[in-house]
Amino acid sequence: MNGEMTDATPVRLLIVDDEASLREPLAEYLVRQGFAVDQAGSAAEAREVLRDGSPDLVLLDIMMPGEDGLSLCRHLVESRHLPTIFLTARGEATDRIVGLEIGADDYVVKPFEPRELVARIRSVLRRANRSPAEDEEEQFSFEGWTLDPLKRRLTDPEGAVVAISSAEFRLLMAFLEHPRQVLDRDRLLEMVQGREAHLFDRAVDNQVSRLRRKIEADSRNPQLIQTVWGGGYMLAAEVRRRPTSGA
Amino acid sequence: MSAAAPTPRRTLQLLWPRSLRGQVLLAIALALFLAQGLGALLLYRAQHERIEGTLVHGAAFRLVVAAKGEPDDNAPSFAARMAGRPRLPGGRLEVTDASPLRPGEQREPEEESELRQILAEQEVPVADLVVFHRPISQDPRALARYRRVNRDSGTPPDLVLIAGLRQPNSPQWLVTRVFIPPAERLMLQSLFGQTLFIYAVLVGAMWLLLRRITRPLAALTTRLEHFARTRDADGQIAPEGPDDIARLIEAHNAMEWRISSLLDEKDVMLGAIGHDLKTPLAALRVRIESVEDAIERQRMAGTIEDITRTLDDILSLARVGRPTDAMEMTELSALVASVVEEFEDMGEPVELGDTTRIALSLRPTWIRRALRNLIGNALRYGKVARVSMERQGDTAIIRIADDGPGIPEGKIALMLEPFTRGEPSRNSETGGAGLGLTLARAIAEQHGGQLELANRIGPEGAVCGLEARLRLPRT
Repeated sequence: MNGEMTDATPVRLLIVDDEASLREPLAEYLVRQGFAVDQAGSAAEAREVLRDGSPDLVLLDIMMPGEDGLSLCRHLVESRHLPTIFLTARGEATDRIVGLEIGADDYVVKPFEPRELVARIRSVLRRANRSPAEDEEEQFSFEGWTLDPLKRRLTDPEGAVVAISSAEFRLLMAFLEHPRQVLDRDRLLEMVQGREAHLFDRAVDNQVSRLRRKIEADSRNPQLIQTVWGGGYMLAAEVRRRPTSGA
Repeated sequence: MSAAAPTPRRTLQLLWPRSLRGQVLLAIALALFLAQGLGALLLYRAQHERIEGTLVHGAAFRLVVAAKGEPDDNAPSFAARMAGRPRLPGGRLEVTDASPLRPGEQREPEEESELRQILAEQEVPVADLVVFHRPISQDPRALARYRRVNRDSGTPPDLVLIAGLRQPNSPQWLVTRVFIPPAERLMLQSLFGQTLFIYAVLVGAMWLLLRRITRPLAALTTRLEHFARTRDADGQIAPEGPDDIARLIEAHNAMEWRISSLLDEKDVMLGAIGHDLKTPLAALRVRIESVEDAIERQRMAGTIEDITRTLDDILSLARVGRPTDAMEMTELSALVASVVEEFEDMGEPVELGDTTRIALSLRPTWIRRALRNLIGNALRYGKVARVSMERQGDTAIIRIADDGPGIPEGKIALMLEPFTRGEPSRNSETGGAGLGLTLARAIAEQHGGQLELANRIGPEGAVCGLEARLRLPRT
């Protein structure tokens, strides 16, 4: 369950980037990491590669001459249901949100750390395999709070956005999917282990206290995420799910 | 002004026009008032003197005739002839034993001297002379004469001019009365009316003219304020008004387009620079993964990170005035905590102190960047970073304190300028382009807030660190 690739069936990736200077070394690196990699220098080339077969995941540059990455992404998501990660040179929030709204599963900002890219590829694949975009189609509400998994946006009862990290997001998702259930540390670690696993497995407790700092009225006396004697945590709130289409 | 002003000075301040149109109109109104008032006064005086002259001459004629007798008449003077005769009530002339001037009545020195001159020219010797005005109601003789002459009809004039002459060697006074026609008052009224009418017409015309000039100016001012805020060249105003103003508006419109297109070009260029530099950096970052020596690889990665950070700072600084992302209601303490946690995850000595929940309208990516820069600076120069957040009224204050050497008092303002770094000797070790504080300040200003730097003073009175305060208003 930790995303290790087996040699028998290598995961196929397609890299779409007009810059050969980045595309080629990246392909080499990913091959060394055990992936099978196809390359395309433009959206048109990518469509050609896609005609011959389906990769497991597409790495897509947003800014390309001709048809840009956003447009190709829309095609990939809508008609091929392919997991997609954006490679973007811009770091502005609007670009990221537009990418995620179109249906990209993740994004990395250039220049990225190659290890982190691999971690994200594995994380996206794991989520895609588990259930085809089932848990991110709806939004959760509890005690006035709302979590929109698509935008990874948590809002408090007054409607203000509350910043949470990816790890906290996954942790909160784990609690929201299992309300009023006691989740012990191993279970939580297993459910939330994502791309930043190397940071995360240091301490589930640390992440829980961070999450409490953001959503509890008084983090020293937590009401929402309660500590259960014997080593576990529980979300003590009613959780309702609503389709995101309205939001 | 509806409210009663407490002092005359305040009233004057309230009435004093602040607009161009108001001030010009006031100046013109005052100048016109002065010019027309002077003209009217001169006209009034000339008319007045003419009428007075006529009256004095009338009185002089009767006195001369009475004193000297008719021309070519060798008969004794009127006074001599009248001496024994009964006196007619309401006659033109009267002979009295005493001066006609009653106590309390004012003599008219100008008319007296004029009369004296005429008498001298006519060689009438004068011992005593009085000229004065008297209300006709207090002078029965004049009233009776008026009634007799006008057969009791009409309204008598208000005033009568009385002139009394005593000749040498005579104890008796010769007194004559002349009615002062009410025409003089009518003249004053019509003069006043005319002046007022012309005044109103001129000031009204000026008001219209000024409005034509100042209305496009006011529109231009509004437009400029709008453009300064949004830097959006849409919704320009059409040139109107006098030629000078219309040309000003045209020139302004052209400049707006120029500024706006320069800013657009800048954004496009920066996007291209960002893209063109970050892609090779990404390629380099991938390539160094094949470097065998782990320490060497780490150093290379660090250098690439430094370059990226500087590039991001430069691009952000260039874009900070025209952010493309919208403001969003955001809970600030969670945002601060999440930035602190990023540093904790990297193993940096950052402490998060007291915070308080406050929702503000802000751009989260920008505030994150400002906080990262401030915390990064504290760690770079001050060993540790202690972050806390409080609320003062409608302002959130984020404090980032360190234990470093602080900044010499005179250099605090300089530190906020681009490309300035603390202690030059540490540059090579610490890296960075010196844009961190500049960018943090620009981001604070983008949100209507401020960035303040102050040395922290320890209990012994010595500087024991620096504190950066980021103030963000709740607007």
